[in-house]
Amino acid sequence: MLNDAAQSALAGLKEAGIDFVSGLPDGWQRNLHELIDADPDIRYVPVCNEGVGFSVCAGAWLGGRKTALIMENSGLRVAAEYIARISLGCGVPVVLLLSYRGDLGDTEHWSIPHAIVVEPLLKTLRIPYQVVRHRADLRATIKRAHRLAEAQLHPVAVLISGDCIWED
Amino acid sequence: MALERYDALTRLAAHLPKDALMMSTYIGAVSFEWAAITEEHPQTAQLGQMGDVIGMAVGLALALPHRKVACLDGDGSVLMELGQLVAMGQEAPDNLVVFVIDNGVYESIGSGKSGPRATATSGRTDLAALARGSGVPYAVNVDSAEALETELKLAFSQKGCRFINIKVPPGHARVPPRQSDGFESKYRFVRHVEALEGKQILHLARQDRQLMKK
Repeated sequence: MLNDAAQSALAGLKEAGIDFVSGLPDGWQRNLHELIDADPDIRYVPVCNEGVGFSVCAGAWLGGRKTALIMENSGLRVAAEYIARISLGCGVPVVLLLSYRGDLGDTEHWSIPHAIVVEPLLKTLRIPYQVVRHRADLRATIKRAHRLAEAQLHPVAVLISGDCIWED
Repeated sequence: MALERYDALTRLAAHLPKDALMMSTYIGAVSFEWAAITEEHPQTAQLGQMGDVIGMAVGLALALPHRKVACLDGDGSVLMELGQLVAMGQEAPDNLVVFVIDNGVYESIGSGKSGPRATATSGRTDLAALARGSGVPYAVNVDSAEALETELKLAFSQKGCRFINIKVPPGHARVPPRQSDGFESKYRFVRHVEALEGKQILHLARQDRQLMKK
Protein backbone atom coordinates (compact mmCIF):
# COMPACT_ATOMS: atom_id res chain seq x y z
CA MET A 1 0.00 0.00 0.00
CA LEU A 2 1.08 3.58 -0.44
CA ASN A 3 3.39 4.65 2.33
CA ASP A 4 1.18 7.45 3.60
CA ALA A 5 -1.74 5.00 3.73
CA ALA A 6 0.32 2.60 5.84
CA GLN A 7 1.36 5.46 8.13
CA SER A 8 -2.26 6.59 8.44
CA ALA A 9 -3.36 3.04 9.33
CA LEU A 10 -0.60 2.69 11.93
CA ALA A 11 -1.56 6.04 13.46
CA GLY A 12 -5.19 4.87 13.65
CA LEU A 13 -4.22 1.65 15.42
CA LYS A 14 -2.04 3.48 17.92
CA GLU A 15 -4.53 6.27 18.62
CA ALA A 16 -7.21 3.61 19.16
CA GLY A 17 -4.99 2.08 21.83
CA ILE A 18 -4.61 -1.16 19.90
CA ASP A 19 -1.56 -2.87 21.35
CA PHE A 20 -1.87 -6.43 20.02
CA VAL A 21 -2.02 -7.29 16.31
CA SER A 22 -2.06 -10.64 14.61
CA GLY A 23 -1.95 -11.18 10.90
CA LEU A 24 -0.97 -13.02 7.79
CA PRO A 25 0.96 -10.75 5.43
CA ASP A 26 -0.51 -10.01 2.02
CA GLY A 27 0.85 -8.14 -0.97
CA TRP A 28 -1.11 -4.94 -0.44
CA GLN A 29 -0.49 -4.56 3.30
CA ARG A 30 3.04 -5.93 3.52
CA ASN A 31 4.55 -2.59 4.51
CA LEU A 32 1.89 -2.07 7.19
CA HIS A 33 2.82 -5.44 8.69
CA GLU A 34 6.45 -4.31 8.69
CA LEU A 35 5.61 -1.03 10.43
CA ILE A 36 3.54 -2.81 13.09
CA ASP A 37 6.17 -5.47 13.64
CA ALA A 38 8.76 -2.75 14.23
CA ASP A 39 6.56 -0.71 16.56
CA PRO A 40 7.58 -1.07 20.22
CA ASP A 41 4.05 -0.35 21.50
CA ILE A 42 2.35 -3.17 19.61
CA ARG A 43 2.78 -6.92 20.18
CA TYR A 44 2.73 -8.42 16.69
CA VAL A 45 1.90 -12.13 16.29
CA PRO A 46 2.37 -13.47 12.77
CA VAL A 47 0.28 -16.55 11.99
CA CYS A 48 0.02 -18.97 9.08
CA ASN A 49 -3.77 -19.04 9.08
CA GLU A 50 -6.23 -16.17 9.63
CA GLY A 51 -8.54 -18.34 11.73
CA VAL A 52 -5.76 -18.97 14.21
CA GLY A 53 -4.96 -15.25 14.15
CA PHE A 54 -8.53 -14.47 15.13
CA SER A 55 -8.44 -16.97 18.02
CA VAL A 56 -5.13 -15.52 19.25
CA CYS A 57 -6.59 -11.98 19.16
CA ALA A 58 -9.72 -13.12 21.01
CA GLY A 59 -7.62 -14.70 23.76
CA ALA A 60 -5.50 -11.58 24.06
CA TRP A 61 -8.64 -9.43 24.39
CA LEU A 62 -9.83 -11.63 27.27
CA GLY A 63 -6.50 -10.82 28.92
CA GLY A 64 -7.05 -7.08 28.54
CA ARG A 65 -5.32 -6.23 25.25
CA LYS A 66 -6.87 -4.16 22.45
CA THR A 67 -6.59 -6.24 19.32
CA ALA A 68 -6.68 -6.14 15.54
CA LEU A 69 -6.31 -8.79 12.84
CA ILE A 70 -4.74 -7.79 9.52
CA MET A 71 -5.29 -9.93 6.44
CA GLU A 72 -6.22 -10.10 2.79
CA ASN A 73 -9.97 -10.20 2.18
CA SER A 74 -9.58 -13.88 1.25
CA GLY A 75 -8.56 -14.46 4.87
CA LEU A 76 -12.02 -13.54 6.05
CA ARG A 77 -13.26 -16.82 4.60
CA VAL A 78 -10.71 -18.72 6.69
CA ALA A 79 -11.35 -16.66 9.82
CA ALA A 80 -15.15 -16.84 9.42
CA GLU A 81 -15.35 -20.19 11.23
CA TYR A 82 -13.76 -18.77 14.37
CA ILE A 83 -15.47 -15.37 14.13
CA ALA A 84 -18.77 -17.27 14.16
CA ARG A 85 -17.81 -19.55 17.02
CA ILE A 86 -16.14 -16.94 19.22
CA SER A 87 -17.81 -13.63 18.42
CA LEU A 88 -21.31 -14.69 17.43
CA GLY A 89 -21.12 -17.35 20.15
CA CYS A 90 -19.64 -15.36 23.04
CA GLY A 91 -19.28 -11.68 22.00
CA VAL A 92 -15.60 -10.82 21.60
CA PRO A 93 -14.44 -7.68 19.72
CA VAL A 94 -11.52 -7.63 17.27
CA VAL A 95 -10.88 -4.93 14.65
CA LEU A 96 -10.39 -6.44 11.19
CA LEU A 97 -8.20 -4.72 8.61
CA LEU A 98 -8.85 -6.25 5.20
CA SER A 99 -7.25 -5.42 1.88
CA TYR A 100 -9.95 -5.23 -0.81
CA ARG A 101 -8.35 -7.47 -3.43
CA GLY A 102 -10.43 -7.58 -6.60
CA ASP A 103 -11.32 -3.90 -6.22
CA LEU A 104 -11.52 -1.71 -9.34
CA GLY A 105 -8.02 -1.53 -10.77
CA ASP A 106 -6.81 -4.93 -9.59
CA THR A 107 -4.95 -6.79 -12.33
CA GLU A 108 -4.97 -10.31 -10.81
CA HIS A 109 -7.63 -12.78 -11.91
CA TRP A 110 -7.25 -14.80 -8.69
CA SER A 111 -8.37 -11.82 -6.64
CA ILE A 112 -11.85 -11.65 -8.23
CA PRO A 113 -13.51 -14.23 -5.94
CA HIS A 114 -12.14 -12.40 -2.91
CA ALA A 115 -14.05 -9.26 -3.89
CA ILE A 116 -17.23 -11.19 -4.69
CA VAL A 117 -17.38 -12.88 -1.29
CA VAL A 118 -16.09 -10.34 1.22
CA GLU A 119 -19.01 -7.93 1.69
CA PRO A 120 -21.79 -10.57 1.69
CA LEU A 121 -19.75 -12.58 4.19
CA LEU A 122 -19.25 -9.57 6.48
CA LYS A 123 -23.01 -9.01 6.41
CA THR A 124 -23.66 -12.68 7.17
CA LEU A 125 -21.34 -12.44 10.18
CA ARG A 126 -23.15 -9.24 11.28
CA ILE A 127 -19.89 -7.30 11.08
CA PRO A 128 -20.29 -3.57 10.38
CA TYR A 129 -17.69 -2.33 7.89
CA GLN A 130 -16.49 0.65 5.93
CA VAL A 131 -14.62 0.76 2.62
CA VAL A 132 -11.91 3.42 2.87
CA ARG A 133 -11.44 5.28 -0.41
CA HIS A 134 -9.31 8.21 0.80
CA ARG A 135 -6.14 7.01 2.42
CA ALA A 136 -5.95 9.89 4.86
CA ASP A 137 -9.27 8.58 6.25
CA LEU A 138 -7.71 5.33 7.41
CA ARG A 139 -6.58 6.79 10.73
CA ALA A 140 -10.01 8.05 11.83
CA THR A 141 -11.87 5.05 10.38
CA ILE A 142 -9.75 2.57 12.33
CA LYS A 143 -10.27 4.54 15.55
CA ARG A 144 -14.02 4.61 15.00
CA ALA A 145 -14.08 0.92 14.10
CA HIS A 146 -12.37 0.13 17.38
CA ARG A 147 -14.79 2.26 19.39
CA LEU A 148 -17.77 0.46 17.88
CA ALA A 149 -16.17 -2.98 18.27
CA GLU A 150 -15.64 -2.38 22.00
CA ALA A 151 -19.19 -1.04 22.40
CA GLN A 152 -20.91 -3.93 20.60
CA LEU A 153 -18.44 -6.66 21.68
CA HIS A 154 -18.23 -7.91 18.12
CA PRO A 155 -15.76 -7.32 15.27
CA VAL A 156 -15.86 -4.28 13.01
CA ALA A 157 -14.05 -4.32 9.66
CA VAL A 158 -12.13 -1.69 7.71
CA LEU A 159 -11.73 -2.51 4.02
CA ILE A 160 -8.64 -0.99 2.45
CA SER A 161 -9.55 -0.19 -1.15
CA GLY A 162 -7.41 0.10 -4.26
CA ASP A 163 -7.39 3.88 -3.75
CA CYS A 164 -5.03 3.29 -0.80
CA ILE A 165 -2.76 1.18 -3.03
CA TRP A 166 -2.34 3.09 -6.31
CA GLU A 167 -1.77 6.73 -7.25
CA ASP A 168 -3.51 6.58 -10.66
CA MET B 1 -5.02 -49.47 35.06
CA ALA B 2 -5.98 -46.91 32.45
CA LEU B 3 -6.24 -43.30 33.51
CA GLU B 4 -9.91 -42.20 33.35
CA ARG B 5 -10.71 -38.69 32.16
CA TYR B 6 -12.61 -37.64 35.29
CA ASP B 7 -9.66 -38.74 37.41
CA ALA B 8 -7.25 -36.80 35.16
CA LEU B 9 -9.41 -33.67 35.37
CA THR B 10 -9.71 -33.98 39.14
CA ARG B 11 -5.91 -34.16 39.41
CA LEU B 12 -5.52 -31.16 37.08
CA ALA B 13 -7.98 -29.13 39.17
CA ALA B 14 -6.12 -30.04 42.36
CA HIS B 15 -2.80 -28.76 40.94
CA LEU B 16 -4.12 -25.65 39.15
CA PRO B 17 -2.90 -22.63 41.16
CA LYS B 18 -5.63 -20.33 42.43
CA ASP B 19 -4.05 -17.35 40.69
CA ALA B 20 -3.70 -19.11 37.32
CA LEU B 21 -6.11 -18.72 34.43
CA MET B 22 -7.58 -21.53 32.35
CA MET B 23 -8.85 -21.45 28.77
CA SER B 24 -11.16 -24.39 28.22
CA THR B 25 -13.40 -25.90 25.62
CA TYR B 26 -17.08 -25.33 26.33
CA ILE B 27 -18.55 -28.21 24.39
CA GLY B 28 -18.90 -31.84 25.20
CA ALA B 29 -18.69 -34.03 28.26
CA VAL B 30 -15.14 -32.89 29.06
CA SER B 31 -16.42 -29.34 29.61
CA PHE B 32 -19.29 -30.56 31.79
CA GLU B 33 -16.90 -32.61 33.91
CA TRP B 34 -14.48 -29.67 34.28
CA ALA B 35 -17.37 -27.33 35.17
CA ALA B 36 -18.64 -29.79 37.79
CA ILE B 37 -15.20 -30.40 39.32
CA THR B 38 -14.33 -26.69 39.51
CA GLU B 39 -17.90 -25.57 40.30
CA GLU B 40 -17.57 -23.16 37.37
CA HIS B 41 -14.89 -21.12 39.12
CA PRO B 42 -14.31 -17.87 37.21
CA GLN B 43 -10.61 -18.59 36.70
CA THR B 44 -11.73 -20.76 33.77
CA ALA B 45 -13.04 -19.28 30.52
CA GLN B 46 -15.21 -21.90 28.86
CA LEU B 47 -15.36 -20.19 25.47
CA GLY B 48 -13.56 -22.32 22.93
CA GLN B 49 -15.34 -24.86 20.80
CA MET B 50 -13.55 -26.74 18.04
CA GLY B 51 -10.21 -25.62 16.67
CA ASP B 52 -9.89 -22.37 18.60
CA VAL B 53 -9.11 -23.23 22.24
CA ILE B 54 -5.32 -23.41 22.00
CA GLY B 55 -5.23 -20.31 19.79
CA MET B 56 -7.12 -18.34 22.44
CA ALA B 57 -4.86 -19.72 25.16
CA VAL B 58 -1.80 -18.53 23.22
CA GLY B 59 -3.31 -15.03 22.97
CA LEU B 60 -4.20 -15.00 26.66
CA ALA B 61 -0.71 -16.17 27.65
CA LEU B 62 0.92 -13.48 25.51
CA ALA B 63 -1.41 -10.82 26.94
CA LEU B 64 -0.51 -11.75 30.54
CA PRO B 65 3.09 -13.01 30.42
CA HIS B 66 3.52 -12.78 34.20
CA ARG B 67 0.61 -15.16 34.91
CA LYS B 68 0.40 -18.93 34.50
CA VAL B 69 -2.11 -19.82 31.79
CA ALA B 70 -3.41 -23.35 31.33
CA CYS B 71 -5.52 -24.73 28.52
CA LEU B 72 -7.93 -27.66 28.36
CA ASP B 73 -8.88 -29.08 24.98
CA GLY B 74 -9.89 -32.33 23.33
CA ASP B 75 -8.24 -34.33 20.52
CA GLY B 76 -11.03 -33.67 18.01
CA SER B 77 -10.73 -29.94 18.57
CA VAL B 78 -6.93 -29.87 18.23
CA LEU B 79 -7.12 -31.95 15.05
CA MET B 80 -9.61 -29.51 13.50
CA GLU B 81 -7.02 -26.70 13.42
CA LEU B 82 -3.42 -27.84 13.58
CA GLY B 83 -2.26 -24.29 12.79
CA GLN B 84 -2.88 -23.53 16.47
CA LEU B 85 0.10 -25.73 17.31
CA VAL B 86 2.26 -23.73 14.91
CA ALA B 87 1.24 -20.48 16.63
CA MET B 88 1.97 -22.07 20.01
CA GLY B 89 5.33 -23.35 18.81
CA GLN B 90 6.38 -20.09 17.17
CA GLU B 91 5.47 -17.89 20.13
CA ALA B 92 6.26 -20.53 22.79
CA PRO B 93 4.99 -18.48 25.77
CA ASP B 94 6.85 -19.76 28.83
CA ASN B 95 3.75 -19.24 31.00
CA LEU B 96 1.53 -21.56 28.93
CA VAL B 97 0.74 -25.22 29.52
CA VAL B 98 -1.75 -26.98 27.28
CA PHE B 99 -3.54 -30.15 28.42
CA VAL B 100 -5.34 -32.21 25.81
CA ILE B 101 -7.73 -34.97 26.81
CA ASP B 102 -7.15 -37.48 24.02
CA ASN B 103 -9.77 -40.23 24.12
CA GLY B 104 -9.41 -41.05 20.43
CA VAL B 105 -13.10 -40.61 19.63
CA TYR B 106 -15.72 -37.97 18.87
CA GLU B 107 -17.50 -38.83 22.09
CA SER B 108 -19.86 -35.86 22.27
CA ILE B 109 -21.78 -36.88 19.15
CA GLY B 110 -22.89 -40.06 20.87
CA SER B 111 -22.36 -43.69 20.02
CA GLY B 112 -24.13 -45.73 17.35
CA LYS B 113 -24.34 -49.48 16.80
CA SER B 114 -20.71 -49.53 15.68
CA GLY B 115 -19.53 -47.65 18.77
CA PRO B 116 -18.06 -44.15 18.95
CA ARG B 117 -16.55 -42.58 15.83
CA ALA B 118 -12.76 -42.59 15.99
CA THR B 119 -10.54 -39.50 15.66
CA ALA B 120 -7.20 -39.66 13.87
CA THR B 121 -5.40 -40.21 17.18
CA SER B 122 -6.92 -43.69 17.27
CA GLY B 123 -4.98 -44.27 14.08
CA ARG B 124 -1.47 -43.11 13.24
CA THR B 125 -1.62 -39.49 14.41
CA ASP B 126 0.39 -38.44 17.48
CA LEU B 127 -0.58 -35.01 18.87
CA ALA B 128 2.54 -34.64 21.02
CA ALA B 129 4.71 -35.37 17.97
CA LEU B 130 2.73 -32.78 15.98
CA ALA B 131 3.26 -30.24 18.76
CA ARG B 132 7.01 -30.93 18.83
CA GLY B 133 7.17 -30.67 15.05
CA SER B 134 5.36 -27.33 15.30
CA GLY B 135 8.07 -25.96 17.55
CA VAL B 136 6.53 -26.52 21.00
CA PRO B 137 9.63 -26.97 23.21
CA TYR B 138 8.15 -29.68 25.46
CA ALA B 139 5.42 -32.08 24.40
CA VAL B 140 4.64 -35.51 25.85
CA ASN B 141 1.97 -38.19 25.91
CA VAL B 142 0.91 -39.53 29.31
CA ASP B 143 -1.39 -42.46 30.01
CA SER B 144 -1.06 -43.12 33.74
CA ALA B 145 -1.90 -41.26 36.95
CA GLU B 146 1.75 -41.38 38.00
CA ALA B 147 3.02 -39.82 34.76
CA LEU B 148 0.30 -37.16 34.88
CA GLU B 149 1.18 -36.26 38.47
CA THR B 150 4.82 -35.81 37.45
CA GLU B 151 3.86 -33.52 34.56
CA LEU B 152 1.41 -31.52 36.69
CA LYS B 153 4.06 -30.86 39.32
CA LEU B 154 6.54 -29.75 36.66
CA ALA B 155 4.03 -27.62 34.76
CA PHE B 156 2.92 -25.62 37.77
CA SER B 157 6.26 -25.27 39.51
CA GLN B 158 8.43 -24.23 36.56
CA LYS B 159 8.34 -21.88 33.59
CA GLY B 160 8.17 -23.39 30.14
CA CYS B 161 5.81 -23.81 27.21
CA ARG B 162 4.39 -27.31 27.57
CA PHE B 163 1.96 -29.58 25.74
CA ILE B 164 0.67 -32.52 27.78
CA ASN B 165 -1.45 -34.99 25.82
CA ILE B 166 -3.40 -37.17 28.23
CA LYS B 167 -4.43 -40.50 26.72
CA VAL B 168 -7.67 -41.79 28.25
CA PRO B 169 -10.26 -44.38 27.24
CA PRO B 170 -13.69 -43.16 26.03
CA GLY B 171 -16.40 -42.75 28.63
CA HIS B 172 -17.70 -39.97 30.80
CA ALA B 173 -18.69 -39.39 34.39
CA ARG B 174 -22.28 -38.74 35.42
CA VAL B 175 -22.28 -35.01 36.05
CA PRO B 176 -24.98 -32.43 35.32
CA PRO B 177 -24.66 -30.33 32.15
CA ARG B 178 -23.01 -26.94 32.65
CA GLN B 179 -25.57 -24.21 33.37
CA SER B 180 -23.89 -21.23 31.69
CA ASP B 181 -23.35 -20.40 28.01
CA GLY B 182 -20.31 -18.80 26.38
CA PHE B 183 -21.51 -15.25 26.99
CA GLU B 184 -21.94 -15.80 30.72
CA SER B 185 -18.60 -17.55 30.98
CA LYS B 186 -16.93 -14.66 29.14
CA TYR B 187 -18.36 -11.98 31.44
CA ARG B 188 -17.53 -14.03 34.54
CA PHE B 189 -13.97 -14.67 33.36
CA VAL B 190 -13.30 -11.09 32.23
CA ARG B 191 -14.56 -9.67 35.53
CA HIS B 192 -12.25 -12.13 37.30
CA VAL B 193 -9.27 -10.99 35.18
CA GLU B 194 -10.16 -7.34 35.81
CA ALA B 195 -10.07 -7.94 39.56
CA LEU B 196 -6.94 -10.08 39.40
CA GLU B 197 -4.99 -7.68 37.19
CA GLY B 198 -6.49 -4.42 38.45
CA LYS B 199 -7.42 -3.26 34.98
CA GLN B 200 -10.57 -2.51 33.04
CA ILE B 201 -11.32 -4.70 30.04
CA LEU B 202 -14.98 -4.19 29.32
CA HIS B 203 -15.97 -0.96 27.64
CA LEU B 204 -17.60 1.84 29.60
CA ALA B 205 -20.01 3.94 27.55
CA ARG B 206 -18.42 7.37 27.01
CA GLN B 207 -21.74 9.26 27.15
CA ASP B 208 -22.71 7.58 30.41
CA ARG B 209 -19.32 8.41 31.95
CA GLN B 210 -19.68 12.07 31.03
CA LEU B 211 -23.23 12.19 32.38
CA MET B 212 -22.22 10.78 35.76
CA LYS B 213 -19.37 13.28 36.13
CA LYS B 214 -21.86 16.16 36.24
